[in-house]
Amino acid sequence: MSFESDLLALLPQLRRYARALTGDRAWADDLVQDATERALNRAKSFHQGTNLRAWLFTIMRNLYIDQLRGRRDIAVDDETAPWRQMAAPRGEVDGLVLRDVQRALYCLPVEQREVMLLVCVEEMSYQEASVVLNVPTGTVMSRLSRAREHMRVLLGEEPGRKTSPSSLKVVSRS
Amino acid sequence: MTSQDRPFEGGDRMGPPKPDRDLQALSAFIDDELHGDERDAVAEHIASDPASEATVAAYRAQDNALRALFADQSEPQVVRLRPRARERYLIAACFLVVGVACGFLMHMLLPAIGESPRFAERADIAYAVYAPEQRHAVEVAASQQDHLVTWLSKRLNRAVTIPSLAEYGFQLVGGRLLPDEEGPAAQFMYQNAAGERLTLYMTTATIRRNDSKIRTLKDGQRTTFYWAWDRVGYALSGQIGQEKLQAIAYDTCKELGGDPKNW
Repeated sequence: MSFESDLLALLPQLRRYARALTGDRAWADDLVQDATERALNRAKSFHQGTNLRAWLFTIMRNLYIDQLRGRRDIAVDDETAPWRQMAAPRGEVDGLVLRDVQRALYCLPVEQREVMLLVCVEEMSYQEASVVLNVPTGTVMSRLSRAREHMRVLLGEEPGRKTSPSSLKVVSRS
Repeated sequence: MTSQDRPFEGGDRMGPPKPDRDLQALSAFIDDELHGDERDAVAEHIASDPASEATVAAYRAQDNALRALFADQSEPQVVRLRPRARERYLIAACFLVVGVACGFLMHMLLPAIGESPRFAERADIAYAVYAPEQRHAVEVAASQQDHLVTWLSKRLNRAVTIPSLAEYGFQLVGGRLLPDEEGPAAQFMYQNAAGERLTLYMTTATIRRNDSKIRTLKDGQRTTFYWAWDRVGYALSGQIGQEKLQAIAYDTCKELGGDPKNW
């Protein structure tokens, strides 16, 4: 398998991560575009035999962090926050209302959101996530643990209980 | 570290707060990051502690919900491959060169495509100025034809041939030297028995290519047929009717070396 075809095979995953991270389809598509371009242009700096997925995700993550600095003003609760433009998910999974989970995810600070998405959605090992995030594996573990607890507080319920907590009102959107 | 990044110690709703390390162990357990004895110990702890079991269930529910949120990503990703910066400059430079070349070519071709060349306009004006002149229509009269040819050949730096238009009833009156845009031009005047006049204008200064296709410039009653051959621009002007003048222009062009196939 060539470098290019390996890279192309990773694009759906890269896009899923970009969309989940930004909560913004257009921004995510631009990120994937820029990251892919940069990866192809820097193919020589990739060491054959090392983890291509981690390398590719690192490139995109660095782009995202750069771009985030210019967009600090986006407030989570703002009606115009990008994630609100995403299709509102319907239904529940394991007793959690997906819409609440979506909202809680974008209430997390970006450091917690990214580690959660890498490990829980992209199913990366702590080691792989530590490469992408450029932190030790111990930090991945502690940050993820905090993210999960934070999420639990934001969702404000033990699994199985359905009442909406006062700190998290259901957003009425059609 | 922001305040949000700090660990959350349960609260009333969550039961008694758990130490960070225990929560990390539960988290790592469901991610399959624990091995050997450590893993077994945590598994045992979860089995015996309902609060830990609930925490593990809550985390697993979060994972499943998150995966469900981002499950549907089926449409294809389109990636446009743009050239790198250095290549972009190169391409831009190529376009610039091509653009300049096109501009230059257009400049060369425009007179043929669009407006008449300046020498045709000058020839037309020279006709308008000198044809009505009775006493000073020419500088050198036809009686001194040899001198006229020598003089103008010298000034135009070309061997000038004065074509005969006698078969159309026009006799040479004489010629004069005129300024063209970038150098000298010669004007020869002909007249018929009825007093109608024609002029044949020649210039070498601004002619940079051959175009022996005969073209027309009309200005009021005056008509000028012009062409270029062998780096000489020729313009025949008159007011004798377009068809008649055209026939004379064609013959003159042929006589002066033009190629009839181009007409």
